[in-house]
This record gives sequence, C-alpha cells and structure tokens, in this order.
Amino acid sequence: MSSFRLVRIPLVLLSLCTMPRAAAAQQATMPRAFELERRGNYDAAAEAYRGILSGKPGDVSALLGLERVLLPLNRSVEIVPDVRAALAANPSSAALYGVALRAWGASDQPDSMRAVAERWARIAPRDEAPYREWGAAALAGRDREGALQAYRLGRERLGRGDVLAAEMAQLAISDGDYASAAREWLPAVRRLPGYRVTAVATLGHAPVSKRPEILRTLSAEPDFTARRLESELRVKWGDPLGGLAALESGLPQARGQGVEALRGLVEQLRMQRTRDGLVAQGRALEAIAARLPEGQAARTRLEAAQAYSAAGDREAARRMLSGLADDRSAPSVVASGAATALLTVLIGEGKLSEASRRLTELRPQLSGEEHAELLRALVTAYIRLGELDRADSVLGRDSTIEGFALAGRIRLYRGDLDGAVESFKQAGPYAGDRADATRRTVLLALLQPIEADTLQLLGAALLRLEQGDTTRAVAELETVAGDLPAANGGAELRLLAGRLAAAKGDPALAERLYREAASKEAPATAPAAELALAELMLAARRTSEAVTQLEHLILTYPESALVPQARRALDMARGAVPQT
Amino acid sequence: MKRREFVARASAGIVALTPGLPRLPLRGRAAPWLLVPMDDAQSDHLKAYGLAFRLLERGGKAEWFLNYRGGAFLVPADGATSRDAALAGVTTEPLDDGRLVEVRGEIQNGNMDAVPLEKAPKVAVYAPPNAAPWDDAVTMALNYAGIKFEKIWDREVVGQGLRSYDWLHLHHEDFTGQYSKFFLNYAGAPWLVEMVEQNRGMARSLGYPSVPAEKRAVALAIGQYVERGGFLFAMCTATETLDLALAADGVDIAAAYADGSPMDPNATAGMRWERALAFQGARLELSPTMPVYSDIDGHQVNSPDRRQPLGSFTLFNFSAKIDPVATMLVQSHRQVIPDFYGLTTSFARSRLKPGVTVLAEETGAPWVKYIHGERGQGTWTFFGGHDPEDPQHQIGDAPTDLSLHPHSPGYRLILNNVLFPAAKKKELKT
Repeated sequence: MSSFRLVRIPLVLLSLCTMPRAAAAQQATMPRAFELERRGNYDAAAEAYRGILSGKPGDVSALLGLERVLLPLNRSVEIVPDVRAALAANPSSAALYGVALRAWGASDQPDSMRAVAERWARIAPRDEAPYREWGAAALAGRDREGALQAYRLGRERLGRGDVLAAEMAQLAISDGDYASAAREWLPAVRRLPGYRVTAVATLGHAPVSKRPEILRTLSAEPDFTARRLESELRVKWGDPLGGLAALESGLPQARGQGVEALRGLVEQLRMQRTRDGLVAQGRALEAIAARLPEGQAARTRLEAAQAYSAAGDREAARRMLSGLADDRSAPSVVASGAATALLTVLIGEGKLSEASRRLTELRPQLSGEEHAELLRALVTAYIRLGELDRADSVLGRDSTIEGFALAGRIRLYRGDLDGAVESFKQAGPYAGDRADATRRTVLLALLQPIEADTLQLLGAALLRLEQGDTTRAVAELETVAGDLPAANGGAELRLLAGRLAAAKGDPALAERLYREAASKEAPATAPAAELALAELMLAARRTSEAVTQLEHLILTYPESALVPQARRALDMARGAVPQT
Repeated sequence: MKRREFVARASAGIVALTPGLPRLPLRGRAAPWLLVPMDDAQSDHLKAYGLAFRLLERGGKAEWFLNYRGGAFLVPADGATSRDAALAGVTTEPLDDGRLVEVRGEIQNGNMDAVPLEKAPKVAVYAPPNAAPWDDAVTMALNYAGIKFEKIWDREVVGQGLRSYDWLHLHHEDFTGQYSKFFLNYAGAPWLVEMVEQNRGMARSLGYPSVPAEKRAVALAIGQYVERGGFLFAMCTATETLDLALAADGVDIAAAYADGSPMDPNATAGMRWERALAFQGARLELSPTMPVYSDIDGHQVNSPDRRQPLGSFTLFNFSAKIDPVATMLVQSHRQVIPDFYGLTTSFARSRLKPGVTVLAEETGAPWVKYIHGERGQGTWTFFGGHDPEDPQHQIGDAPTDLSLHPHSPGYRLILNNVLFPAAKKKELKT
C-alpha cells in the first residue's frame, strides 16, 4: 500500500464521521421541511425545521413551521428552547414574540407570557399586537382571566377605548354577556367596518331573552354604525320590517353610503321569503331607486316591483311599474321585465281583458319566449274562469309541449277524455315544472282505466276542482264513479273523491269513499286506498286501527310500490320515527 | 367420496346432532331457515336487529354469523318471524339445510364465527323524564328497530334499580352536574331552566347538597353496575363526564353555578384516574363558560380555537374466533364511516388507559372514535359523537328520521351493542 493510500484512509473515515451533520445541514432546507409537513410526516418535518434553526436560530419561517408540526404531535411545549434561541438571535421580530407567547402559553407559564408581551410592547409601544397575542395565548390555555388582563392592560397602555374592542367583545360573548359584547362591538366596527359581519354573526346567536337588551344598547347610540348593526340583527331575528325601519332612521345623507347600506340589507333580505321579508325588500329597493339617477333607477324599480308582487302587494308593484313598461328610454331588459311583471299582476288580479290588450300592445318589448309564457298564463287564467272556448282561442295552434299540456286541460274539462290523454302524452314529462308533470301523470293514471272516450260529467267535475269548488267536485266525482265498474275507473275516482273530501275536512265522507275504493276488484287502486285510509286514521289518532290497516296492506299487496310508504307510516304510527 | 361432499355430509351430521335452533316441522319443500343478510343486499339494516331481538323476546333462538355477509343473522323460518320481516321490510333469504351446511363450512374456514343469540337483554336507557325521544341516537335506534327498553333516571340508579337490567345506555348526560356547561351561555332558555329545576329537585329529593354531588353518586352506581357484570354503552358527553365524575374523588370539578363553590384550580392534579373506566391523565377545562370538560375529547367542538374538522373513522378488523366480542361490536357493511360531532366527539389516544380496546379510529389522527373495555365482571363501550346521521347536530335541530337512513353504518354500531349481551357467553379472549 502506498503512503498516499495510508493517509487517505483516515481522511475517508473522518469524512464518514462528519457526514451526517453535513448531510443534515445540506438536507435541512425549507422546501424539504415543507414537503415533509405537507405529507403529514410531522416527526421528520420537526427534525428538518430544527436542522434549519440549528444553523439560523432566528429564522422566523422555520420556527413557525416547527410550531405548526409540533401541535398535531401534541408536543408544542418542546418548542420553548428553540424560541429562546430565536429571540436571542432576532430580538426585534414581532413574529417571534407571537410564537414565544404561544409556546409559554402551551407550557402553562403565565409569568413568562407576561414578560414576553412586555418585551414586545417595549419594541412596538403603539401596537395592539402584543396584548392581542398575549390574550389569545392565554385563551388557548383556557385562562380567561389572563386574557382579560392582557386586553385591559393593552387598552390602558394605548389609552384608547376602542383598543382590542373586538377581542373584548368575543370574550363577553363567551361569557354570555351579550349587552357588553354589543357595547364592545360598536367601537370595533366603527374603527374597522369589516368587523360588522362578525359582530352580527356572534350577537345573532344571542338567546331570545337577551335580544331586547342588545337592541336597547344599540338604540342608545346615535350613529349610523349602531343603526346598521341594529337593522341587521333585527332582520336576522325575523323582524325584516323593523330592520328596515332601523336602517332608514339613520341613513346618511351621502347617497353612496346610503345606497351601499340599503343594498346590504337587500342582500340579507333575499334569504327571507316571508311576506314581511319581501315587502321590506321591495321598500328597500324602492328607497335605493329613489337615490339613484333616473337612468339607473329603472332596473331597481323593476326589482322592487317583483318583490312587491311576490309579497302579494299588487298595488305597490303596479306603482313601481307604472310608466316603466311603456318607457321607451328604459333599457330593453328592464322594459321587457317590467312588461312581464305588469301583465303578471293584471292576470293575478283577474283583469284578463286588460291583460290581453296590454299583451298585444307590449308585444314589441317582449321576446318570443316571454310573450309565449304570458300568453299561456292568460290561457290558464281563462281556463280557471271556465271560459274554455276563449282559452282555446287564445292558445291557438301552440305546438310546444307547454301548449299541448294546456290543450289537454281544455279537452279534459270539456269531457273529451281521449283527446286529453292524447294531448297529455304529447306534452310528455317536460312541460311546466315538476308539479305540473306530476299532476298530468296523476290525471293520466286516473283516465287510463276508464273505457269511455267522452265523459262530460267527469270533465265538469274536474273543472270545478280547478276552480276550487271541492264540495261539488267530490259529489260529481262520486256520481260519475257510480256509473263505472270498480276496475274501470270507479275505484280511482272514489279514491280521488276521498282525498278531496279529506282535504276539505270531511273525514267521515273520505273514509267511506276510501273503503269503497279499497276493492279487491281493483287491485291497482286498493293499496293506495288502504294507505289513504290508514293515514286518515292516523290523523284522527285511531292508531291501532291504522296499524292493522297498514299491516293488511303490506301483507296483502307485498309487491305494491306503496309498501315502502306504508312501512314508513307504520313506523310513525308505532312511534319508531319522529312525526314530521 | 369427494372432499366437498364429505365436508357437507359431516357438517350435516354435526348440525343434526347439535341442539341448535328450534325448527318448524318441514312442510313440503319450504326452507326451514331464513338468512338475514347484512351486506348491501339488506334493505333495512337497522330493523334487522329488531327482527332478531323480537325473535329472542318470543323465546326463539338465532345465530349471529360474524363477518359473514356483513354480520348476517340466521333465524328460523317460522310464521311469526316471516311476518315480522315482511312488515319491517327486512330482507331475508330462505335457506335449506344443505345450503346452511355450506354456509357453516364457509364460516368455519374464514375469519368468521357463528355466535348463538339466546336471550333478549333487558334494556334500560338512562334519560331524564322530559328528554325528547328524538334527541338521543340510541333511543332513536331502539325505537326505529322496534327494540323494547325502559327509561330510568337518577332515583332508579341510586336506588339499586340497575340490578334488573342487562344493558344500560346513558343518554348524553353531564355526570359532572354542570348542565352540559350550557348554564351561562344559554341562561334563560326555557329548556335549560327546566333542566336545572329538574336536576336540582332530584338532588334535593335524594338528599344530596348539590347536583354535582348527586350526579357523582349516580356515576358511582353505574360504575358498580359494570363491576357486577352489566353491559354499559355510552355516547357523546356521557362517556367523558362519567369518567370525570368517577375520577373526581374529593375534587371539586364543578363550576360555582352548579354547586356554589368554584372549581378547584388544581383539579387536574387531584384526579384519581384509577377509578375511571377508560381515561387517564386528562387536563380539565377551568373556564365555566366554555362547554368543554377536558382534553379527552379530540375534536373540542365548542372551543373556537381548538375545534378540529370532521374526517372519517375506520373500524378495526378483529379475529372472529379469538375476539368475538370486539368482532360483534364492529359488524358493519362499511368499514370507513363519516365522523360526526358531539359535545364529546372522539377520545384522545394519549388519554386512553393501556387496557382499552380501540374499535375504530381516524387514521393518522391523535384521536379514536369507538372504544371498549372491561371492569370487574362487566363491560363498557364508548362511542364518541351525538348522532351518526346528523354530523353537526345543534340544539333545536330537527330530529333525525331513521327511515331515511335504514343503512346507517354508524347506527349499526349502536345496535351491535344492544345485541351483544344476547350472545351466549363463552370464554372471551379480548
């Protein structure tokens, strides 16, 4: 072996001995530590962060990383030595003081927490952060008193009443002291309006008994911030008109600020589809429109009209729409929307001739689809009045699926069963909404077993039903059923008549009709009749009879599609599931 | 003779000689047995437990085929059972003797076992008299499955009334006597006023100076019930507070509003965990307003800064022949189940006593969901969370309608616990 080789061996050994440290230093990079953390390998990530800190004790990112990964390992306390070293290396970093506070908080050392906070406060004497972080660390250690002390000290040192108001408010909320929380939230929101959402969310959870006190606290304050908080809370607690009144009482003169506040209220009200909610929405939109330049107000007035219309306040809706539909200067979308809303209001009021005339006049403002929809609404209104010829004439030769659905109804009420079935089949399942499609399917099921092509009495009975005259409809349906065999429509018509009788509050008549419909000669109808009978008994608290009836249905017709429903009713009768 | 044929004949012989399930005399070629599958073929998993339970109540016998088709039941094909299954909508499959022998062979050769179910356990639910039946998952499961139970409360428990029951479930009670720590945050709410009045009245009538003192006496009686051989099942906050009450021997762990004196600031150090069933070394929550008791709960749902998100938990696989008890408790057609919150949602691993059997855990999380253990002659099972089908249950929420969740794997775990005491006792190795 050459002397060179003899010298090399110890060198190699030396390098092998030093490699782990060197390799660790080389491998201990932030990307690697992040990657280990991302993969959830917290032990290895902690080692990696520590590797970085061994070279750079004041590295804020590495220390924060170490703090993050020690938390899920339930080893947060272990960070204390690293924090000490970091503070020694980088005593002016605010982030390090935050970590230090949490570290001493986790290790349950309140005196150290205070000392660190004081040190931090000396570096940043006008900053709230030392007290905020101190309080947060105390809360993390379930030390409510410690947190309160930190916040109070911060407020005293900084000499302002709004310092740490949001934190004090949260603390008051956790104590159930909602009035104090409201008092704290006010300065917090005045200083930082973004806090309003949190203030409303936290105060909004106040129990009913605490709400008057909160509202009193807010109403005692004269400024708009208090009005707005009061308004949003009132809306949240189900008093939309009160909320609107509160807001309007303090609306600032500045147009922009007022509109912004009203729009915020409208957004909140959109979630409330109650009558009061819709009226409040309409009024708020009307108030917005009044604050907007004429050119921009049209769309808002239209929205207000739609809200009023949905609330059933047709007078207010019409007031908003007056002139809007005929306004040639209004944007086309607004004009057509206004025309649609106006016609909907007229149809809703039963002013069909006027609606028909206006529909012709406003035709140029409407798209083809809008015109067709309004036309169908007019046809439906004529059908409901029993003016079938007029309805037929207005409908014309509408070959859309919606048109076929309407034609089916006209034919049905004229007693033309064959024609009605044909039209309903042409309409298929897509005309109208799901409820319409279901209604047509029910009618088809009703008509299918009936062999006659025309039955004027049945058409008349169903038209009475459409018109809301249930009593006469039931009597006429029973009369028609009497002329039909059970399996050929008799049972189905009795079942329908029974359901109508039950709905109008005549259980005795309903029970008789159901029992007649539950005929073994009509096995397609009997399970439904038995189920309806059981439900009637349940409603009358005749539970044991209902249970017997349901068991009979399940065991007699085990293949019926109604068995799952019968089982559910049985569960309810036995108290196995909640009454819903 | 081929091996398969031999096995079949030999098994048939064994079955014929075994005094197993009573069978109806065969009429024609009707199958004498019904298999109640508990895999995805079952149309109502929860009611299947009720079917088995009612059969036992009628004096019949059943078998629980652990790990076979999701934990299937074997029941006789008698008229009453068939009618019951039809009414309940429980899927059954007719099984003749030949096929049964094949099934038994399959069970013999796999990680499965057949456990005879002999006697319907007498079930008690510990709940205050005014507790809404729809606010407790176990009550809901029992009602839905059609399993009879009796409601008992403090007077019965303290008065040795537990002796007559085989199985006890604890409604989500706060055994520390602090009204679920809602006292300050919900002050004035009618339900809370009623709860406080009722508990104070009961404590007075039983001669205790405060509600916490009375609840601790109740907890001790429940602990003795387990010692003497009872089966205890608890969910939600009853798990944690029962152990806290048991361990708080001579330590004031209740806030001033509950017993007139503030909580001992050194309560954590004074706890005697050897008296608890499942937990040890927990740190107690000192704030009277925070609806959190300790760091036993891994999720801390009511602590805004410590609340953990919901994940899912995984049931462990146990050896059916060696660990039948643990196997019974985890029978399910789903192994991974979405988690759900409760006042106590889960149990920190670091707080479990060494002998506790973990039945389900969230993989990689520092908490577990479902645990089991023994104390004296009896057993206890703790299941974290409030309602398996209402993961974010809040006070006043609409009740869960189990007819909309007939396959709920979470609720199945509850019902496993109800049938577990019906199993014929044998040497348990868990």
